[in-house]
Amino acid sequence: MKNREEVVEKLRASAREMLSNKTVDVVIGWGCVTPEQTVATPVFVKSPDDVELLDWNEKCYGNLAAYMTRKEVRALGRVALMVKGCDEKALVVLRRESQIDPSNPPRVIGIACDEDGLGCAKCGTCDVHVPRFADIVISGVTPVPENVPVPAEKRYERLSEFMKQPRENRLAFWMKEFDRCIRCYACRQVCPLCYCERCIAERNKPQAIDSSATPRGNWSWGITRAFHLAGRCIGCGECTRVCPAEIDLSLLNLSLANAAERSFEGFRPGMDPDREGAVGAYSRGDSEEFIR
Amino acid sequence: MNAEEMIGREDLIINRDGLGQLVRDWLAKDKPLAAPKRIKDDLVQYALCTDFDEIMLDGFVHPDNSIKTFLFPRHEKLYHYETDELGRITLEDSNFGEFSQLLLGVRPCDAAIVPILNHVFNWDLKDSFYNRRAEGTVIIALGCTTCDANCFCTSVGGAPDGVAGADALLFPTSDPSVFAVKVVSEKGAHLLAKYCAIGTAAPKAAAEVPVRFDMDTVHDWLKENFESPFWEEESLSCVGCGACSYTCPTCHCFDIMDEKNGLGAGWRVRNWDYCQGRQFTLHASGHNPRATQGARQRQRLTHKFWAYRDRFGTVLCTGCGNCIRRCPVGLGVLPFAKKICELAKKS
Repeated sequence: MKNREEVVEKLRASAREMLSNKTVDVVIGWGCVTPEQTVATPVFVKSPDDVELLDWNEKCYGNLAAYMTRKEVRALGRVALMVKGCDEKALVVLRRESQIDPSNPPRVIGIACDEDGLGCAKCGTCDVHVPRFADIVISGVTPVPENVPVPAEKRYERLSEFMKQPRENRLAFWMKEFDRCIRCYACRQVCPLCYCERCIAERNKPQAIDSSATPRGNWSWGITRAFHLAGRCIGCGECTRVCPAEIDLSLLNLSLANAAERSFEGFRPGMDPDREGAVGAYSRGDSEEFIR
Repeated sequence: MNAEEMIGREDLIINRDGLGQLVRDWLAKDKPLAAPKRIKDDLVQYALCTDFDEIMLDGFVHPDNSIKTFLFPRHEKLYHYETDELGRITLEDSNFGEFSQLLLGVRPCDAAIVPILNHVFNWDLKDSFYNRRAEGTVIIALGCTTCDANCFCTSVGGAPDGVAGADALLFPTSDPSVFAVKVVSEKGAHLLAKYCAIGTAAPKAAAEVPVRFDMDTVHDWLKENFESPFWEEESLSCVGCGACSYTCPTCHCFDIMDEKNGLGAGWRVRNWDYCQGRQFTLHASGHNPRATQGARQRQRLTHKFWAYRDRFGTVLCTGCGNCIRRCPVGLGVLPFAKKICELAKKS
């Protein structure tokens, strides 16, 4: 990571300032890691004396926007949130979906990634290494680099490869993937856009989705989740990173993104804050006849 | 060799060929066998195997799941119900046939769950579903020569060469094709008799798993700090999923559901449940005695280190480290226990 120490110093300084002058009540950021730790635990800093808990390192995977809709976090008051460029897209969608109180929006501290990001698969095709709407952007490089567009063919390369397989093989692949699902809902819990007060997977009057980790239950869950995130998933890949069964949800999400981009005039969730969402917004330009 | 004579001997060995034969003979009887198996590049799980070559006997610290799934499955059908046109209900028990399975290459921290779970599944009601599986299972454990920063068996009374819950323990030796064998039970002796030999092989050094916290300190602190602000503070980052509970060998909460299969028919089933979710302990009235993430984390820790221990005399944790490895945000039993010990030292 380029000039990591400098980045850390700057982010701690802005956190200290916001907490000292009481612009915010809590700063949510990533914590320090020991060499053995595989992920930086998010930290909630409430006092300017504790900003040393905040860090920027190769294991800052978490998309902290997921905390914005949590009851316990809302109760903390005014929030400053650390985001990477990819995480920031979630805030754009949350705002569009009225999940962020306009009278109390978070202060956003954006951290620019290096060209290879954190080395995740998603980082290789990322075109938002630098947060675009944050209140402050901290970068290890001056001047702050420009974001470089990535052509669609490259962004969907993995999907195109997969789609070359015959339908039966693809079905067999997903059957095998979902067979390992244990219904821990880690995918849902880390997702910044899975904020339903009561998820359909938990409703039992009537029971729409079997809570059983069986092919029927897992298939219903996997597909329902995908449909509900279609045109909304910003592709942060957190669901895939945390899955204890290593189910390749990113590939499914890529398919959703591709469908949204093809069917809604190049729509990409979280990219354009001025554009209405693909789902949940009516437009006379929609291709479906029945809606008019 | 007579089976009884095998138990407790220090000079038994088995080589890879013998083990391979044992596996083939077992599979030839058409009985299930589960062992550590590579499922994907980054995923090793205890899974059903159909060939000796699939079985991993080295090259991993701990599988990403636990053997719990073979004793207390993530989903179990308890009985079937059906309603006829006059509204009469017929119930049909799940089939309780002969049950026999072999779990091979089981880490000592997984084998150790059997004596622990036996308590709760035989405490008031005898849980026939669990007992039937536990009784029909032979566990051949595999001692550890390596560990990672998340292993902490020695902090909860276990050991990398521990035999608790196992019917036999294999331990790697300086010769990669030979394992030292410790036979623990008659079940183990009967299974291994044909394939073991008397011989000497120098066992490798067991993994040095440092004691990372004092469980008595944790127990005492938990008892006295039920209302501590520690819980809400330290649980803010918990996302409330079940990755810890479901990869934990000892977590055994379950939920009973009716799963429909057409009109008026279906199964009553039991599925794993997890304490970190919002629905855990949610009453029909809408009240939830564990309403916050802090209360739910406290629930998990107190169940493991205080309540279970006071009731059954054993902690509900074997130190396998899965909760830490699989936590989306790097929490788990170990960071909590360490912090508790630090707090206890201060007070």
